[in-house]
Amino acid sequence: MGTENPGRQQFPARPAATPFAAAPPQNMMPFSSSGPVVGSEASGFRPTPPAAPQPTVPSSMPVLGSEASGFRSLPPARFNDPSVPSPPTSNVPPPVGPFQRFPTPPFPSTAQAPLSRAPPMGQPLSQPPMGQPLAQPPAPPVSFRPQPQMPPVPMGSPPQSVNYASPNVNFPYPASDSTFPAPRPNFQPSFPGYVQMQSNADSPAPPIQSTFPAQQGGYAPPPVSSSSPFLAHQGGYFPPPPVAAPMGMQSQMQHLGSGPPIGSIQGLIEDFSSLSIGSVPGSIDPGIDPKALPRPLEGDVERKLFAEMYPLNCDPRYLRLTTSAIPNSQSLASRWHLPLGAVVCPLAEAPDGEEVPVVNFASSGIIRCRRCRTYVNPFVTFTDAGRKWRCNICSLLNDVPGEYFAHLDATGRRIDLDQRPELTKGSVEFVAPTEYMMRPPMPPVYFFLIDVSVSAVRSGMIESSLTQPQMMVVSDLDDIFVPLPDDLLVNLSESKSVVETFLDSLPSMFQDNLNVESAFGPALKAAYMVMVCMLTETLPIDKLYLEPTWGEMLIFQNTLPSLGVGRLKLRGDDLRVYGTDKEHILRLPEDPFYKQMAAELTKVQIAVNVYAFSDKYTDIASLGTLAKYTGGQVYYYPSFQSATHGDKLRKELTRDLTRETAWEAVMRIRCGKGVRFTSYHGNFMLRSTDLMALPAVDCDKAYAAQLSLEETLLTTQTVYFQVALLTCSKVVDVPVTINRYTASCGERRIRVHTAAAPVVADLGEMYRQADSGAIVSLFSRLAIEKTLSHKLEEARNSLQLRIVKALKEYRNLYAVQHRLGGRMIYPESLMFLPLYGLALCRSTPLRGGYADAPLDERCSAGYTMMALPVKKLLKLLYPSLIRLDEHLLKGSDLVDNFKNLEKRLPLAAENLDSRGLYLYDDGFRFIIWFGRVLSPDVAMNLLGADFAAELSKVNLYEHDNEMSRKLMRILEKFRENDQSYYQLCHLVRQGEQPREGFLLLSNLVEDQMGGANGYVDWILQIHRQVQQNP
Amino acid sequence: MRELWLWLFSFFLLIGLLCTLGFQIVCLVDLEFDYINPYDSASRINKTILPEFIVQGLLCFFSLITGNWLVFLFSLPYLFYNVRMYMQRQHLVDVTEIYNQMRWEKKKRFFKIANVLVLFFLSLFWLIWSITDDDE
Repeated sequence: MGTENPGRQQFPARPAATPFAAAPPQNMMPFSSSGPVVGSEASGFRPTPPAAPQPTVPSSMPVLGSEASGFRSLPPARFNDPSVPSPPTSNVPPPVGPFQRFPTPPFPSTAQAPLSRAPPMGQPLSQPPMGQPLAQPPAPPVSFRPQPQMPPVPMGSPPQSVNYASPNVNFPYPASDSTFPAPRPNFQPSFPGYVQMQSNADSPAPPIQSTFPAQQGGYAPPPVSSSSPFLAHQGGYFPPPPVAAPMGMQSQMQHLGSGPPIGSIQGLIEDFSSLSIGSVPGSIDPGIDPKALPRPLEGDVERKLFAEMYPLNCDPRYLRLTTSAIPNSQSLASRWHLPLGAVVCPLAEAPDGEEVPVVNFASSGIIRCRRCRTYVNPFVTFTDAGRKWRCNICSLLNDVPGEYFAHLDATGRRIDLDQRPELTKGSVEFVAPTEYMMRPPMPPVYFFLIDVSVSAVRSGMIESSLTQPQMMVVSDLDDIFVPLPDDLLVNLSESKSVVETFLDSLPSMFQDNLNVESAFGPALKAAYMVMVCMLTETLPIDKLYLEPTWGEMLIFQNTLPSLGVGRLKLRGDDLRVYGTDKEHILRLPEDPFYKQMAAELTKVQIAVNVYAFSDKYTDIASLGTLAKYTGGQVYYYPSFQSATHGDKLRKELTRDLTRETAWEAVMRIRCGKGVRFTSYHGNFMLRSTDLMALPAVDCDKAYAAQLSLEETLLTTQTVYFQVALLTCSKVVDVPVTINRYTASCGERRIRVHTAAAPVVADLGEMYRQADSGAIVSLFSRLAIEKTLSHKLEEARNSLQLRIVKALKEYRNLYAVQHRLGGRMIYPESLMFLPLYGLALCRSTPLRGGYADAPLDERCSAGYTMMALPVKKLLKLLYPSLIRLDEHLLKGSDLVDNFKNLEKRLPLAAENLDSRGLYLYDDGFRFIIWFGRVLSPDVAMNLLGADFAAELSKVNLYEHDNEMSRKLMRILEKFRENDQSYYQLCHLVRQGEQPREGFLLLSNLVEDQMGGANGYVDWILQIHRQVQQNP
Repeated sequence: MRELWLWLFSFFLLIGLLCTLGFQIVCLVDLEFDYINPYDSASRINKTILPEFIVQGLLCFFSLITGNWLVFLFSLPYLFYNVRMYMQRQHLVDVTEIYNQMRWEKKKRFFKIANVLVLFFLSLFWLIWSITDDDE
């Protein structure tokens, strides 16, 4: 297929793809080839060899076919044939460049598309495009002919001319004019195969000039604008002369062209991208070139254009709107089937040099709008010689306090503008004066809850599963608090006594403000306690009220809480529940106790981070609730073994304790009149309709919100958004490192991010300004929430449906003015949306059914994804796959090398060469895949003596040789770029089942796996649904 | 005369039910307009839920034993719904999700109020009727 779009840069490279597309940049060029192509069907006519130079168009292409055709447009690019060397094809593009949208005049792309039909061709797929095709075609009896004909006709301008199609056969044309060659009838239709139907079949004749003739159906083409070439093509069959045949093959490519118009067209350049999908319904051939599909191999590229339009906006790392063009009416908003909203990451890590400026309005107090409480920002306007300012959100005129007064210059700007970061930067941080504090700042408390169950004792696993996590924890605990008594660690024989000892030691650790004297309560009293005691169950909330505090509770849970209040049952093993209406209950907390606790904890500003280790069912769905509503996070280490997972736990725990964190925060997103945030998604608890309570916020957490329009019609030109994060107490002494915030111990600050977005009346503009990263982030949150009340399957279907609706709406926008045929079109901004949609459906929280992911993993991944910032989410959905062996073998310097290393491969098993060594990195773990015939030297260097061992038991560590050091340096480098989680290395050898399957193969989202679609099928499925009438 | 007392009794039960539901709706509306925080709102609502269920059950039982089939049938769906929610332990409002569930919670209560109002007028009618009956 050609994809059309060449544009996108993305692919340029791939040759295949684009075939022609680019082709001549503009019209001009004749196409070389011209090809007639015929498509399948038909005929294609000839190629007019003669080509007349002029215009005439070649074209021809009959393409038709069923839909396939699609193409239309495009001119001839084709080259096909041999004759033409086409080389070209390939990509040509350059010129075009990136953009091409297709419409563009030229023919860019397009053409190919048709391939579709290919089927006949044989291989269809692939080749289609280009030249090759020809060859292939096996079948076709026809033949190929050579090209002879084909001549390149330049299409050039044809426009005028008419082209006709030739209908089939020969004859043609009446029209005389045409250039065409009619005579030649070549066409062949060739193959039987095709046949397609076309109705016309035979006779073609008539076509007459005009353009298109027949069209087949469908698509007929284009209307051609005048000229156009195309032809109709008729039916196909015709036996045509062989000749044609060749083309036939090619046909695919073809496209019709439309060349002519070109010129004129230019004006019309549109901006959508398209993908040719040629398949004929019912045929087996997918008609799509997998290589041509868009893939985010560059990672998440932020769109700069918009940032340039509004230079005062805060950086997209803090706030991303799903579309930077706000619809002006509810009816327009309802046609935008994607979520309308924003993803906010208020404390995102800023690169050096771009830190958020801190502003201290010591004497004047923070300048805010009297009515809507908006903070002063770069979009406010000063009037009345600088004595008043107009709030950009509610338009109220406010007085400027005396201390803040400055004169305005001739253009109405304040003369002190350059000393006022709050008036020039979209993100600032205000130091809060005392009235913003409810009480003096205090240091936060870290409270560690460690599960010391005895289940392991009985099973004789105490050494391996229990003590180790605790030992790990202790290493960090040492830095922070009094060490845990040794006996606690050692004497695990009886849970009751252990727990009591533990409790006894707690008061001394937390003399400050937590009285845990009675902490155990009923759970502990249960004499036969065998498995667990969870402190949370009976945390003395009443005491906390007396002595307010804030902080973080870290829960280290090893087994299922089984006693006392909050006890949980084993569930999730029941295969029969899946697929029924009760399925979602498994993903909800089993006992309301957890939700109540979470609410209480939030109230007293304690965030909970849950660390779960068990290899057995721990009911993360219930435990995670504590993290969800307290702004915390869930870390899950299935089958924890300290020997392998120790590093990961240590690093993540350290990160948890040391990253920049704001405590006791509340966040509100204000926006202009007429729009309102109606729902919020993420880990927090709402304290009022629009106020999120966040006991702890840090740079690894993002929150999403959806907007709705309150008025049927917006009258303003611009909508402003302001995110204000008031951290009641920022803080404090995080023991391990002093970071920026903590430097001023306990200072309260308000971080404000402001952004503006234009209001538009045009749906196309909304699509153009869409941000697929933010959309995917919202989609993932919505889908995960949906799994809490519906079946997994329904969550996936509704996701797919929304994508289809959005693409369908988009297609309708352009269907009239452009001939879309069988192409799938999408805005450039949403190029990756279908792929991310697929990846989302196959992500851990949503994939498959019972057997595809353990319930705990599903739930913990769900909690994690609800909090991930956009970039990390995209990386998780479409991880990078990088080939390492070449880099390791090359002696070159790492520094140079690192750039190359970022060359990501599409996530498909066909890209794994069994001679290679690959790294799969999803931001949470590394998987290193050893090809079956990877040179033993490499394996030996990297693994040392373990190289022949079963890799599941092997740890990667540095060996004394260059290659191993280099690998470790590479991994280190990747880790540095993404520090929110520690990527533990998993090694897997090709063919080592089932590990290879669940570690890697099931994550290659482009491959078909089990019941899940591969990328090609997914696109075809979406495309088919888009084309169906509602 | 006994009729009269019976009707009066159910009349008061209905008034009690209406007041409870009205109170719950007021709490939800206050919450929506931010006059109250979700913790207080949820705990106030939750405090009245069990009494509401009990009064409603009592009303059903009462109409059953007194043979007021119409009233009984009419309040049966309400009873059934309450019992089901209670069995599933979903009868209380969830403070963590209260904002997301607000619309449904309000709607649910409006339906209950509508149901109770119909009963209320029915019993009012019968009350008056039995008074006039007595007179004759």
